[in-house]
Amino acid sequence: MSDVLARAEPIPTAPWVGRDVTIRLAPPAARFSLRARKAADVQDALGREVTGKIGTTINGIACLGPEEWLWRAPEGTATPANARIAITDIGHRHVGLIVEGPRAVSVLSAGCPLDLATFEVGRATRTVFETVEIIIEREAPDRFHVEVWRSLSVWLWMVLTTTAGD
Amino acid sequence: MILIHCPYCDEKRPEIEFVYGGEAHIARPADPATMNDAAWERYLFIRNNPRGRHHERWRHSHGCGRFFNAVRDTVTDRFETTYKAGEPRR
Amino acid sequence: MSGYRLANGGRIDRGVRRRFTFDGRPFEGFSGDTLASALLAGGVQLFGRSFKYHRPRGVLGAGSEEPNALISVNRGPGRFTPNLRATGIEVYEGLAATSQNRWPSLRFDLAAINDRLGMFFPAGFYNKTFMWPRSFWETLYEPAIRRMAGLGNPPTEEDRDHYAATYAHCECLVIGAGPAGIEAALEAASTGKRVILVDEQDEAGGGAMSDPALWPWLERSIATLAGAPNVTLLTRTTAFGYYHDNFIGAIERLTDHLADIGKGPRERLWRIRAGEVILAQGAIERPLVFDGNDTPGVMLASAARTFALRHGVAVGRSVALMATHDSGWRDIVAMAKAGVGVCAVIDARTNVSNDVQAEAKALGIPVHLGQCVIGVKGRHAVQAIEVASTDGSRRRTIACDALLMAGGWTPTVHLWSHARGSLAWRDALGAYVPETCSEIVRCVGACAGTWDFGAGGLINTLPSPKPSHRARAFVDFQNDVTAKDIRLAVQEGFRSIEHIKRYTTTGMATDQGKTSNLNGLRIASDALARPVTDIGLTTFRPPYTPQSFGALAGRAQGPLFQPTRKTPIDGWAEEHGAVFELVAQWRRARYFPKPGEDMHVAVNRECRMVRQAVGIFDASTLGKIEVVGPDAAEFLNRMYTNPWKSLEPGRCRYGLLLREDGFITDDGVSARLDDDRFHLTTTTGGATRVLNMMEDYLQTEWPDLDVWLTSITEQYAVIALQGPMARKVLEPLVEGIDLSPGAFPHMAIRAGRICGIPTRLFRVSFTGELGFEINVPTAFGRALWERLMAEGQHHGITPYGTEAMHVLRAEKGFIIVGQDTDGTVTPYDAGLGWAVGTKKKDFVGKRSLARPDIVAPGRKQLVGLMTDDPNLVLEEGAQIVADPKQAVPMTMLGHVTSSYWSETLGRSIALALVAGGHGRTGETLYIPMPDRAHSVKVCSRLFHDAEGARLNV
Repeated sequence: MSDVLARAEPIPTAPWVGRDVTIRLAPPAARFSLRARKAADVQDALGREVTGKIGTTINGIACLGPEEWLWRAPEGTATPANARIAITDIGHRHVGLIVEGPRAVSVLSAGCPLDLATFEVGRATRTVFETVEIIIEREAPDRFHVEVWRSLSVWLWMVLTTTAGD
Repeated sequence: MILIHCPYCDEKRPEIEFVYGGEAHIARPADPATMNDAAWERYLFIRNNPRGRHHERWRHSHGCGRFFNAVRDTVTDRFETTYKAGEPRR
Repeated sequence: MSGYRLANGGRIDRGVRRRFTFDGRPFEGFSGDTLASALLAGGVQLFGRSFKYHRPRGVLGAGSEEPNALISVNRGPGRFTPNLRATGIEVYEGLAATSQNRWPSLRFDLAAINDRLGMFFPAGFYNKTFMWPRSFWETLYEPAIRRMAGLGNPPTEEDRDHYAATYAHCECLVIGAGPAGIEAALEAASTGKRVILVDEQDEAGGGAMSDPALWPWLERSIATLAGAPNVTLLTRTTAFGYYHDNFIGAIERLTDHLADIGKGPRERLWRIRAGEVILAQGAIERPLVFDGNDTPGVMLASAARTFALRHGVAVGRSVALMATHDSGWRDIVAMAKAGVGVCAVIDARTNVSNDVQAEAKALGIPVHLGQCVIGVKGRHAVQAIEVASTDGSRRRTIACDALLMAGGWTPTVHLWSHARGSLAWRDALGAYVPETCSEIVRCVGACAGTWDFGAGGLINTLPSPKPSHRARAFVDFQNDVTAKDIRLAVQEGFRSIEHIKRYTTTGMATDQGKTSNLNGLRIASDALARPVTDIGLTTFRPPYTPQSFGALAGRAQGPLFQPTRKTPIDGWAEEHGAVFELVAQWRRARYFPKPGEDMHVAVNRECRMVRQAVGIFDASTLGKIEVVGPDAAEFLNRMYTNPWKSLEPGRCRYGLLLREDGFITDDGVSARLDDDRFHLTTTTGGATRVLNMMEDYLQTEWPDLDVWLTSITEQYAVIALQGPMARKVLEPLVEGIDLSPGAFPHMAIRAGRICGIPTRLFRVSFTGELGFEINVPTAFGRALWERLMAEGQHHGITPYGTEAMHVLRAEKGFIIVGQDTDGTVTPYDAGLGWAVGTKKKDFVGKRSLARPDIVAPGRKQLVGLMTDDPNLVLEEGAQIVADPKQAVPMTMLGHVTSSYWSETLGRSIALALVAGGHGRTGETLYIPMPDRAHSVKVCSRLFHDAEGARLNV
C-alpha cells in the first residue's frame, strides 16, 4: 500500500550523463542480509543456488563474507517463512547506483582503492570509496552496481558526478 | 598504505578496509568471577608491546567483516603472516 | 644583460611567442620555455634574494634541484602560489611572476644589510643571540627575524581551484622519463604489462632533451609508448613519496601551464599501487664550494647545457667553466658547438684525460689545469673571476659573464630512501648509491650510479690562498649555509650529521638539500677527520619537492570534504527553518525557531508543547542493530548488564553496555520482536562502535553462538511522538495495533501498519511523557512525518529538536552517554545500579565492577544540582568545590555535565559528577567562576514527575 505514502529518494532519479559514462539511481529493490553457517543452509532456505565463495555473486546473491550474503531481488519479493537462517530486511538501508560506460572503471577508481580493471564480471565485495563504505559489483565489463548506505549516497553521488565531469 | 592479506577473502586488500584490534591471543577468561584482582588486571591491561614480531588482531571491517590474527614486525611494519581467528598462534 | 637567445636550436617552438611579466616588467619567450630560460634569454641574471643574508641570487640549476630562483605566481584572486622554482614554471601568455624576499625591489633590497653583517650571523646565531630575555622572543626577536628572513608570502585568500584524486594500478611503475626510464618502460611495455611512466617535466626525455643527437631516438620511443594501450605516460607529474607495498603518491599539474585554466581541476593526486617500481630519477650535479659561488651567473654546467641545447639560450657571451669532473668539459664543448662563447676551462685536476681535453682544445678554448676559482667579481652579476693555482700561486683575473661549476654527480636516491632502501658509499662517485630494499623496486641509470659520469676528483672546498674565514663559500644556497658554518658547528662539538644539519640548517630548506647534502657531508667529514660513512647520512622524507595542500587534499574540499549524513526528514526540517547541529557525521535539527524567536524562546516553547500537548522528533539517527538467531537472548545476556532471557516478545528493556573495564560505553532501549529476534538501539554516535564491539565478542570469544548482527540504522526512519496527546495523533493512522494502555503498555513494541506502511511501533519515552517511536522503512519517513504533522495539527503538534530533547530528558534525569559519562563512570556511579543483573553469573564488565578502585568510596557520582539563584544556568564543564575560599589550586570535587533552563520547572537544573555525590544530597557546594562563586544544592536527578505518573497513561 505504498500508494498511501510516497517514497522519497535522497538523490536525483534522472540519470547523470557525461562523456563515456552514465551514473543513475538503481530502481527500488528488495534487499536482505542472509546469515548462516554455510552456503548450503542458505541454498536450502531459498531453494536456489547460492555461492559460498567470498566476493562472488550468483542469482543476485553476493557472498560478502563468511556466513554473510546480500540478496538483491525485485521490489516486493517475500522471504520464505520459517527459514532456518537469519534474514534481515535491509531494503531501505541502501541506495543502489549504477555506473556504466567505458569510463566506469576510471570514475570509480577516483576513490576506490581496489584494482577495478582486473575485477572480474560477477565479483562483488564490500570496500570503500574514500571514507565511505560501499558494496561494489561488476555486472558487465562496462557496468558496476554500487550499494551505499542511504545517508551517504548524496555525498557519493556528488563525488562521482563531479569526477565524471572533470 | 599497506596491503594486508585477509585470510578469509584470501587476497591482499588495502589497509583502509581494515581496523586494528590490539594484541592477539588474549582470550577472555571462562569464569572471570573466580579470578583474583591481579589476574584480572593482567587480562585487562597488561600487553606485550614488543619490538619486532607482534601478534595482533585486525578486522576486515570494510570487507568480509571478520576478525583475524596477524604477525607484524613493529620495526619494519611488515606483515609476516595472517591467519583465521581461532587458529593456533604462529 | 648577458644571456641571450641563440639564433637557432633547442626544442622551443619559435613560432609561438609568449608574453609575460617579471616584477611587472614585460618579457617575451617561446612555447617550450621555462620562466628561467625565458628570463635568461632576456638578459636577466638576478632572480631572487637569499633567505638569511638577502644576497642577490641567480639561477643555479635547470630543474627541480633549483635552490635560488624561487618565484611567486599570481593568477588572480584565490590563485596565488609562492616559492615556485623558475626552472619549473612553464611560460604561458600573460604569466605574472614576481620575485620574493626583497624590499623595496629586487635590485635594491634594504635587508641586504644582513649580508654586510654576515660575520655576525654564523651557524646557530639565532639560538645563541636571542635567548635572553626570554619574553623578547615572541614579541620582538621572532617577528623581526620573520620579516627579515624568509621565502615568499603565504596566500591570504581561500584557494579558488579544485583538485582531483585517483587510485591507479599497474604491474610496472617507472619514475623518471630520461633515457634509462624510457628504456625500462619500453621493455616492460613489450611484455604486455600495465606500465605507468611518470616525469615531473612538461615533456618526457630528461637529459636526452639536452642532447640533440638523442632526439630521433627520443621521438621514436615516445611514439611507441604513446601508441601502446598498456602504457600511461604522465608528464608534469611529480612522484613525491614512496610508501609501503609499492604505494606511490604523485601529483599531476593540469592547468598551471595554461593561459586559460578552464573549469577542470588544477592538479590530480595519483595514488599508484605498482607490482614493481623502477626508479630512474637521474642524478643532480654538485656545485663547487668557493668564495662567491652564489653570485648570479654562477651555475651548474649541466644546467647551462640544458638552457643552450634544450631552450636555445646562451647563459652568457663569455662563459667560463670551473670543473673537477669530466662531465663539465663535455657540457661546455656541446655548448661551444651550439654557438655559446666560451672563454676558459679551469680544472682543479692536473690529470684530465687527453680525450676530454682534445675536444676543448680543438675548439680553441683556453684550458687551465691544476687551478681553481678563488673569487668572483660582481655583485648582481658575474663580471670576472679570480683564478689561482691550487698551491695559491699565479693569482689573476679572467673576465667572463657566466661561470659554470662541474663538481660531479649525486644520484637521486630520494624515493629509494622513502622506501627505506639502504645506501652504499661509492668512492669513485663521491656519493651514496642504492644498495638493497625490501620493496620490489630497482634503480636504473644515473640514480643507480651506473651511468657513464666520466671521471672526477673529489674536492670538498676549492683550495684558495685567501683566509678561509673571509670566504663566502656557500654549501646550502637556499638556507644560506657556508662551508665556514659547518666547520664552526664541528668546532663547537657537533659530531653527528643529523645534529650538524639541524644546527646549521643545511639541507633543511624546501629543496631538501638536493645540491648541498653531499658537499655538507664531505666538509663535515673533513673537519671531523673521519670518513664520510662514519658520520651518517640524513634521511630523505616525502615530499620530493614541495606540493600544494590542495592536491594532497584531493576532492576533500567544500561540500565533498566529508559526508554530511542527512535523515529522510532533514529536507522538511530545512524547509521549516530548523537550525542544525552536527552529531557524529549526522546533521540534526537542533530547534525550530518561529519568526522572531531566539534559541532560548524556541526551545522553551518546544519543551512546553511536549509536556502540554505533543511533540514530534526525528530520531532516525539512533543506531539500530537487528540481532537474529536461536542464541540471540543468550548473546545479549552476556553483552549487557541487564537480564534478557526473561524478556517477553513484544516487550522492551533499557540496556546498559559496559566495556570489559566496567565503565559505561553505550545505552539504549531494545525490543524483543520474537524468540530469536531483537531490535536494539544504540546512541547516535555509538552505532558503529557498538556493532564492532559486539562482532568482536561474537566472532572471537563466543563463535559457537548461533546469532547474527545486522545494522538497521538506515533501514528505518524513526519518528518520536511524545506528549499527552501522542496517542490521539497516532490512533487514526494505525492499523492492526491496539493502542489502548492495557493492550500496549509502556516499554512495549508492536508490529502493524501505519498509513499502509509496515511499522515497528515502540511505546517508549525519553521525555517522561506518553511516547511512541514509529519505525518505518526509510524512504517513507518524510511522507509519514508530513501525515503526522497534518493529523496532529488540531492537537497542537510541535516539532522539536535535539536541544529540547536534551532539556526534557535532563528533567527526568536520563543520562546522555558521553556527556554525563566520560569513560570512567560505572553503572553505580551513574545511579543505574538497578540496571545491573547482579544475579547473572557473568556479563561484559561484571568482574571489573568488583575491582578495588571501583568499590572504593569517594568515586565521582552523578547527581542533580540546583543553583540557589533559580535564574542562573551553570556552564557545562564548570568545576565544583566544597569551599570557594580555599587556596588555589583548589580541591575539585567534580564538574557540571549537563545544565539547562527548565521551562517545566521555571528554574535552572543541572547534572554533575561529584566525588561521593550520592551521599551529599542537601549539601551546598560551590562553582567558582571568574566573577564570583555560585552556590548550588545537591539533589536527586529526578527533577520532574519522580513517580512516573505521566508515563503510565
